This record gives sequence, structure tokens and C-alpha cells, in this order.
Amino acid sequence: MSDRLRPLLVVAAALVLVLGVVPAVLGALDRSYLYQVANLALIFVLLAASMHLVTGVAGLLQLGHAAFYGIGAYTAALLATEAGLTFGWTLPLSGLSAAFVAVLVALPTMRLVSIYFAVATLGIGQMIYLVMLNWVPVTKGPNGILVTSGLELFGYDLSASAPAYFVVAIITLVSLWVIHRLSHSYYGNALRALREDDQCADAMGLDTVRLKIESFAVSGFFAGIAGALWAHTAGYISPADFAFPQSILILAMVVVGGLGSLPGAVIGALILILLPEVLRPVGDFRNIIVGGVLFFSILLMPKGIIGEVSALDLVRRQLGGAWRGEGTKAGPEVGWR
Amino acid sequence: MDYYLQQLAIGLSLGMVYALMAIGFTLIFGVLNVVNFAHGEVYTIGAFAGLVVITAFAPPLFVVLLIVVAVGALAGVGLERIAFKPFRRFSDEASLKSRAMREATLMSSLAVSIIVREAIEIGFGSQFQTVPLDRLLNKPISLGPVTIVSGDVIIFVVAALMLGGLQYVLKRTNVGLSIRAVSSNPLGAKYVGINTDRTIIWTFAVGSMMGAAAGILVGLYYGAIFPSMGFIPGIKAFVAMVMGGLSSIPGAVICALILGFSESIATIFVPSVWADMVAYGFLIVTLIFFPRGIFGGARDRV
Repeated sequence: MSDRLRPLLVVAAALVLVLGVVPAVLGALDRSYLYQVANLALIFVLLAASMHLVTGVAGLLQLGHAAFYGIGAYTAALLATEAGLTFGWTLPLSGLSAAFVAVLVALPTMRLVSIYFAVATLGIGQMIYLVMLNWVPVTKGPNGILVTSGLELFGYDLSASAPAYFVVAIITLVSLWVIHRLSHSYYGNALRALREDDQCADAMGLDTVRLKIESFAVSGFFAGIAGALWAHTAGYISPADFAFPQSILILAMVVVGGLGSLPGAVIGALILILLPEVLRPVGDFRNIIVGGVLFFSILLMPKGIIGEVSALDLVRRQLGGAWRGEGTKAGPEVGWR
Repeated sequence: MDYYLQQLAIGLSLGMVYALMAIGFTLIFGVLNVVNFAHGEVYTIGAFAGLVVITAFAPPLFVVLLIVVAVGALAGVGLERIAFKPFRRFSDEASLKSRAMREATLMSSLAVSIIVREAIEIGFGSQFQTVPLDRLLNKPISLGPVTIVSGDVIIFVVAALMLGGLQYVLKRTNVGLSIRAVSSNPLGAKYVGINTDRTIIWTFAVGSMMGAAAGILVGLYYGAIFPSMGFIPGIKAFVAMVMGGLSSIPGAVICALILGFSESIATIFVPSVWADMVAYGFLIVTLIFFPRGIFGGARDRV
């Protein structure tokens, strides 16, 4: 009974918080800056969740995630400013274009493992960043693009602070639900099998390369969606928003929250976006805090806040029975929950 | 024609700098089997240490280099203690080969590199530092039809000396012997009584010396010293290491030179802002078509 009830309660509490309490507080304070922070936090929750699918569940260390975020944002901004499309069109199109690029990236790199894959994604992320920075005729280069068309959905203008917050929140929640269903299903378990031992998963009959490409494409799609949300809510994008430090920030969120746990990725994103806001007096130290949080969470909490896989656990499992008797459970429990 | 020769000279000094950086990567990868993501920050630390020394005492270049190399060695040792040592709690074979441990150190070195870069930025500001004009290595030297600057010569000479010194250390000293032993078989080296922990510290010291020297040489050559200067050369050196086959030092040096030449030649045909694409393109092509590296021997799956 309680096993079935508790997830429902958690979901209900999260919904009330995101769609009820936060907008109420924001409405009471009524400062557009706070709406910006709330939107940014939700967008990074979505980014962390999309990276969670690739890095946490499928175990592919990704160092270029911000590039897909950037592709989504640039697609949305260019479609909105050059082609005059509204948000209803730019949102899915930017997701699809990011997914398309993700498949292109994944096709050659998916046969690489661990650090080789990480570095290949780093290189490709840098290439995409260079294109955004230097292809001036299209992307306007370092000057960035001013997105004048706001959130217009089905003919309604939702650009005011409160409606925009609801649009971002609902899209983020729906995306989270999709990612949750993906990662807590037989499909998600297949991805976890890749993470634990991809040679073994291959031997068991899983099409590992195809699974990796699919998870990469889905992750790219949601990063692209996040990019479109950012382009339309912030109203201005520039290449610096999608550079390497952003990739690391997203990675830090997933690692701090706990690899392989969707709530962990969400909490990690909230911590790393809201902590620097809370610590505004020490503004300059913002990135040091990100680095420090990343370092100490790897050192002291290899599992993250609520992760399901840790560096040390993987080592212990490889050592076999000798470590088993120490009270800790050897393997994580995954499956239908 | 002269212009092309000039670009080749620039490419040579660029390649030598990448080679110095790549050696640090290669040595550390050989011994620990992990990628040191903070190597670019050692380069930055070298440049800033040199700048501080120059503005404070204005000693001759040779003394500056000695101090920078010492600072680099210290930075390397500190880096190893902070970002790598805590993750070597288990020294058995399984954890030495564990992918998870490798990725943990990858991320911890990444975290340390962020902290170091931001700390430098807070200390010195994020803009370009002003290098005293008379210390810049840009006195023109005419060499037949080609005009190169003194920096090209100095970088070449210093890098060649350091490469020679490295070869001496690796082949003729006990430290070098133990480094080679640990990189060929860490567990076996431990069984024959080599102090692997000390060897790893030595490796970081030697590798970081080269990285720091590269940092100050480039800083004085271009007159551009800033906190995030180490990121791009770090990636390029990593590309050179991957192309060279990960644990082959001659391979890394040759590939670093290839990279330097192709970049300086690329700037003839495309605007220089696109030159970085060459390195990333090389990286992707190498990983896809030569996953063992061009000069690499046998290796685990990549």
C-alpha cells in the first residue's frame, strides 16, 4: 500500500510546489528577476534530466551537452527571427534539429568507450561552439541574437512573466515524465545494462550501438527543447551561453545529484542554480563553488545525493565476493517501481 | 613561397609547444591510465608564475624558466595529491583497471581545474595580463629569405633541450626506470619493490615541468597571458596524445608537430579563428579511423 502511495504523494507534492506554491510566491513578490531565475532553474532541470538519460542511465560520459542546448536555442532563435515562426513551431523543430545533430554525432562516436567517448563529445561540442561563434553571417557571432518574438502558443500571447513561467514549468514537467517513463522501463533497464557492462549486454543480445544512438538522440531532443525555452524566455542568446563551462555545469548537476537517478539530477540542478543565487554576495566565487561542489561530491559522496551507481560500488562488484559481506548491498535495485 | 616558409617556422614552434604539453599527458596516462584534465591549468600556472617573477625581479629568461619549471613541478605534485591520490585508495588490479575509477579521477581533475582557473581569475582578473614589452620574444631574426622572431628559436631550443633531458631521465636514471616500469605494469612494478606512489609523484612533477615551461614560453611569445589560456592547448595536446597512440612519447611528439604544422598552414587558407577546427577534426578522424593511434601499439578497446 504505502509502496504504491509514496511515489504518488511525492509527485503530487512536486506538482503542487511547481504549479502552486512557487508561482504564488513569485506572484506575491512580483519581481521579473525572480521569474527569470525560476525559468533558468527549470530549464537546467530539463538539461540535467536529459543528460541523466545518457550519462546516468546509459553510462556514457558526455562532455559536450551544452552544444545540443545551443543548437536548440539557435534553431529557435533563427526560426523566430528569420522565418517568423511562432513558439508552437520553433519548440518541436529545435528539439528535432538537436536530435538530428545528436544522431549525426552519435553514429561515428558510439563505438568508443569511456574517456574516448568523453573526449570525442568534448571535441564535437567545441566544434559546434566554434561554428556558433565564428559563422557570423548566420549566427551573428559573438554578438548573439535578440529574440523579439515571445511565447506565443495557439494564438495566445504568453510572454508576460507568470504565463511564461507556467509554459516553461509544464513543458519541463511533461519532459521529466517522459524521461522518467523511459528510464524506468525495460528500455531503461537495457540502458542500465549498457552502463554496467556493455560487452556483456551485447552478448545478451542487446543492440548496444542502436540503444546508445537512441538514448543520445532522445537526450539531444530534450536539450534542444531546453534551448528553445531559453531562447524564448531570455530573449537573447550568445555563444557564451553554450560553451564548455555550461557542459561541465550540467555534468556537475548530474554527478552531485547522483548518477542514474532522475530526482537526483533534478535536485542537483536546483542546488547548482539556486545556490549561487542565494550566495549572491560572493558572486565572483560562483564557479569556484561549482567546482568545489563537484570535487567534494565525487570525493565524499561517490553516489551523489540519491544516486544508484557509485564509482566504488562498481569497483567492489568487480572484486567479487570478498567485499560482499560488509553489510552494503552489492548491486542497485532497478526495475519497475 | 617565403610566406609559406614563415608559416612553417611558426608551425614548428607551435608544434613544439603542443609536444611539451602532450608529453605531460602521455607520461601521466602511461603511469596511471587516466587523463589529467587539469594539465591545461598547469600551463596557465606556469605562465602566471613566470609573469609574477618577471614583474617582481626582472631576472634573465633562463632564471625565469628555472623558477617556472620548479613551480610547475610543485603544482603537479599538489594536483596529484588533491585530485588523484584520494581515488587510489584501492591499489589492486581490479580497481586499477576499473572504468569507474578512471572516470572519477577524470571528473575530480576537471573539478580541480575549474577551481584553479577561477581562483586565478579572482586573483588576477579575467582579462589579458600586460607583459613588459622588452620581455616579449618577438625580436625579428632574418634567416635567408625568411624572417622569424626570436621566440621561434627560443621555443625550439628550450623544447628540444627538455625533450632530450626527458629522454635522458627516462632511459638513464632510476626514476625514469621506475616510471617506465610502472607504466608498463603497475602491479608488477609494485611486486618487484618499486614505490609506485613516489613514482607517480615523480611522473606528475616531470610532466608538469614541461607543461609549465610551455605556458611561460607561449605567454611571452604571444604576449597573451590570461586565466583560461590553458584550455585550448590542453585539448590540442590531448589530441596529439590520442593520435600518437596514448602511451608513446615519440608518437605524441611527432603528432604534436603535425598538428602545429597543419594549424599554421590552415591559417593560410581560412581565417585564423577557424584554425582550432583542425585539431578537433584530427581528433574525431583519429578516434574513428585509427582508434589505436597512428603510432600506437596494442591497446584495450577504445
